Amino acid sequence: MTETYAVELRDVVKKFGDVTAVNHVSLQIRDGEFFSLLGPSGCGKTTTLRMIAGFEMPTSGEIYIQGERQGYRPPNKRPVNTVFQNYALFPHMTVEENIAFGMEMQKVPKDEIKRRVDEALAMVRLSGMAKRKPKQLSGGQQQRIALARALVNRPKVLLLDEPLGALDLKLRKAMQIELKALQEEVGITFIYVTHDQEEALTMSDRIAVMNNGIVHQVGGPEDIYEHPADRFVADFIGETNFIPVKVVSLSPEIVVELGTGQKVKAGWAEEGLTVGDKAVLSIRPEKMDLLEPQEVPQTPSEAIAYVPGTVTHLVYVGTDTRHTVALGDGTEVVVRLQNIYVGEEPWEIGETAVVTWNAAHARILKE
Amino acid sequence: MAERLRRHPELQAWLVLALPTLFLLVFFMAPLVIVFVYSFLERGKYGGVEWVFTLDNIRRVFDPLYFKTFLRSFYIAIVTTIVTLILGYPLAYFIAKSPPSRRNALVFALMIPFWTNFLIRTYAWLTLLRTHTGLINVTLMNWGIISHPLPLYGNDFAIILGLVYGWLPVMVLPIYAALERLDESLLEAARDLYASSYKAFRKVTWPLSIPGVVAGSMLVFIPSLGAFVTPAILGGGKTLMIGNIISNQFLGAHDWPFGSALSMVMMIAMLIATLIYFRWTKKSELMS
Amino acid sequence: MSIQQDALATTHHDRWEQLKAKLGGWSLGAYGILAFAFLYLPIVILIIFSFNDSRSVSKWTGFTLDWYYKMLQDNQILLSLWNSLFLAIVSTIIATILGTMAAIGLERYRFRGKTAVDSMFYLPVIIPDIAMAIMLLLFFNMSGIGFTPWKVNFFGARLAVPYSVIIGHVAFNTSFVAIVVRARLAQMDRTLEEAAQDLYANSWQTFRRVTLPMLMPGIVGGALLAFTLSLDDFVITFFTSGAGFNTLPVRVFGMIKKGVTPKINAISTLMLVVSLSLVVVSLLLSRRSSDGDSVQMGF
Repeated sequence: MTETYAVELRDVVKKFGDVTAVNHVSLQIRDGEFFSLLGPSGCGKTTTLRMIAGFEMPTSGEIYIQGERQGYRPPNKRPVNTVFQNYALFPHMTVEENIAFGMEMQKVPKDEIKRRVDEALAMVRLSGMAKRKPKQLSGGQQQRIALARALVNRPKVLLLDEPLGALDLKLRKAMQIELKALQEEVGITFIYVTHDQEEALTMSDRIAVMNNGIVHQVGGPEDIYEHPADRFVADFIGETNFIPVKVVSLSPEIVVELGTGQKVKAGWAEEGLTVGDKAVLSIRPEKMDLLEPQEVPQTPSEAIAYVPGTVTHLVYVGTDTRHTVALGDGTEVVVRLQNIYVGEEPWEIGETAVVTWNAAHARILKE
Repeated sequence: MAERLRRHPELQAWLVLALPTLFLLVFFMAPLVIVFVYSFLERGKYGGVEWVFTLDNIRRVFDPLYFKTFLRSFYIAIVTTIVTLILGYPLAYFIAKSPPSRRNALVFALMIPFWTNFLIRTYAWLTLLRTHTGLINVTLMNWGIISHPLPLYGNDFAIILGLVYGWLPVMVLPIYAALERLDESLLEAARDLYASSYKAFRKVTWPLSIPGVVAGSMLVFIPSLGAFVTPAILGGGKTLMIGNIISNQFLGAHDWPFGSALSMVMMIAMLIATLIYFRWTKKSELMS
Repeated sequence: MSIQQDALATTHHDRWEQLKAKLGGWSLGAYGILAFAFLYLPIVILIIFSFNDSRSVSKWTGFTLDWYYKMLQDNQILLSLWNSLFLAIVSTIIATILGTMAAIGLERYRFRGKTAVDSMFYLPVIIPDIAMAIMLLLFFNMSGIGFTPWKVNFFGARLAVPYSVIIGHVAFNTSFVAIVVRARLAQMDRTLEEAAQDLYANSWQTFRRVTLPMLMPGIVGGALLAFTLSLDDFVITFFTSGAGFNTLPVRVFGMIKKGVTPKINAISTLMLVVSLSLVVVSLLLSRRSSDGDSVQMGF
């Protein structure tokens, strides 16, 4: 049974001269989903979006929208609309005329245009602004008009290119909530490009993490965060520790050897690793804890790692404190402990501490 | 067809460029080629040309008689450029340092004279500079300041003055644009690092304004070298610059090949001067 | 030096610096005034003497409007005025269309041979008038186009405008228009055109509804520049008109050669007024332009 996806990319490549911006990307984006393309600047996410919109044509590969192959179709023939990073509102037209533009081009009858423009303005809560010109509006207002202008055309898919980038922090957070609510209300598929991982994690149903034109991982926010597929994703999303290790065994259990010789278990290993390989153990700071040496149980369970080290730095960041601990071989890890203690900070610089974590949270990744 | 146009943006480009390019090719490039070709032809008996190849015309250009005028034209153009620069730079600085609200008005006031007819502006100086009937001499003599009229007309001085007057706004604008773009904080940084006003100017302002100076100089030098109206009106009836000699070959002497050769040599000289100037300013930019 | 001496020296130094700065600002201001006086005085004197009650242009004897009457009754001058206007209008229209097309082609597209075409469009701006004038003279002579006139009735005046002059004016004006329009085009936000396409507009609709309206101030600016340059042109007109065709500048040149009278001042003042009005028009238009960008004639 083949599902018809809202948007599908099959092995899409885009080259600009010698530079490969998008390198064999395949994606299946489902109907009604809030799908984000996340990655650092220059990773190819915007280029990918533009190819879906029709502003760029793939060098090779195919793009399907609602099952239909797009080929060389220009943007004005595709059932998608775009919200641009700089809003691209027509400065010489009023808000009304901006929103009506798409419908005019599609020869929608005048009274219907009027009705839908009013609806669109109400939807973004800017009903009084119809006769204003874009330059008379604030950044946040312009953003909402850009949104209205796109949505009023009832596209099957809405493409958003870092639409909140120009807004200040507080406004951005408010708009994130609004956008998400809007998407759920309207039910349209949103494809959202951003470099801000918190934004992607907050709003998306699924995220595609990209770097250098390649999709490293596609999954829900929890999936991406808790189960990063490779080093790049683990590093790019949130904070993580990378402990250099050597692979000792992969089945029936994953066991690795630390620089100090100590062996610990892990919950997952990246495909392609073999015994004897050098790798990294990736574990998030909040998944770790610190114990006094005497607190380590006599017969430690193999499901928990107990690694001794020395506290070298303490950084207080309000909700928690980051403890930097140097392990036996000099490798430094950061452990985040919530500041729920009463009285004095329990750890001091120079103190011996045992870093501990649940082996299930440890992931072995290629270097 | 529309599909093909979209697939190949180059075709779109040629479609929209076809008409203007064709026009310029026929009515500009072709004439240019004709001038080049004519330079090597012989003069016809009753005007016009004989289709015989000759290098005589080029040789005549370097004949001391005519070459002298070339050198003189260069001299006038260079002096004009320097004087315009000396007068224009402070003016540009003045406008750039004025409060922003006043700046646009000042630029506007600067451009108004430039937009009025060049011929008229030159004529205005004619009425001022003429030896016996010019306003300056008449007034000075009336007030008893001088007893003999000053030689303000029919010489290099008059021509240079006329050219400087005509092209001053053109020198000021690019320099003003460069100065206006100058980040105030750069100067503040210089002062913070113990530079005096003079040093700050020499080490920060001046180097950054050089592109404007170069642009302005080129825009003044080229038309000054090829000046025709100014020497014709302020030169007192004598042929003083290369533009006038060229003009004579076509209006009076009917020696078209020679006129073409002169013109061609003039244009090549301008090209070389431009290249040298650019090379020289690139070097000084790197050094300062 | 002791600390007190040091401090005292610093205060003196500061005061001296302050004084220097004030003097500097003062002299700069004074220089500015002088420079503008230099620019305007000749023109003002010219205008003043157009009202002079004698044949002199340097000795003031009294106020009169005679020269203006004489000017308005001189059929030759009126004819040359009509010639100038007609020539300017026709060449501006053609040059604006060609120049805008050139600007779009050069600014929006990349293609092989672009540098060559680009440079070609800059040449008419850089080349000195006299060189271009004789180039065209030779061309018209050689090509057989000669100086055949376009006989036309323009607001009641019967004109005979040589095609060669029109072509010559279009030749240099096209490049100027192209430069102005191109500058405007370069400033334009490309994403606006993408947005239009995203909203289902095809190429033509995008051009007509988005690109052109946004480009208009630049096109108008270019047209005004071309009009002014055409009205003011002397050298190219002089050489490409054959015998007997006069525009106002050509006529004035002839008059200067024959003898200087305040009549020339009167004509000059008239031309100044026309130039000034054009400038004011361009300013008003730029104020009204949709996004408040200034239309800059020239640079």
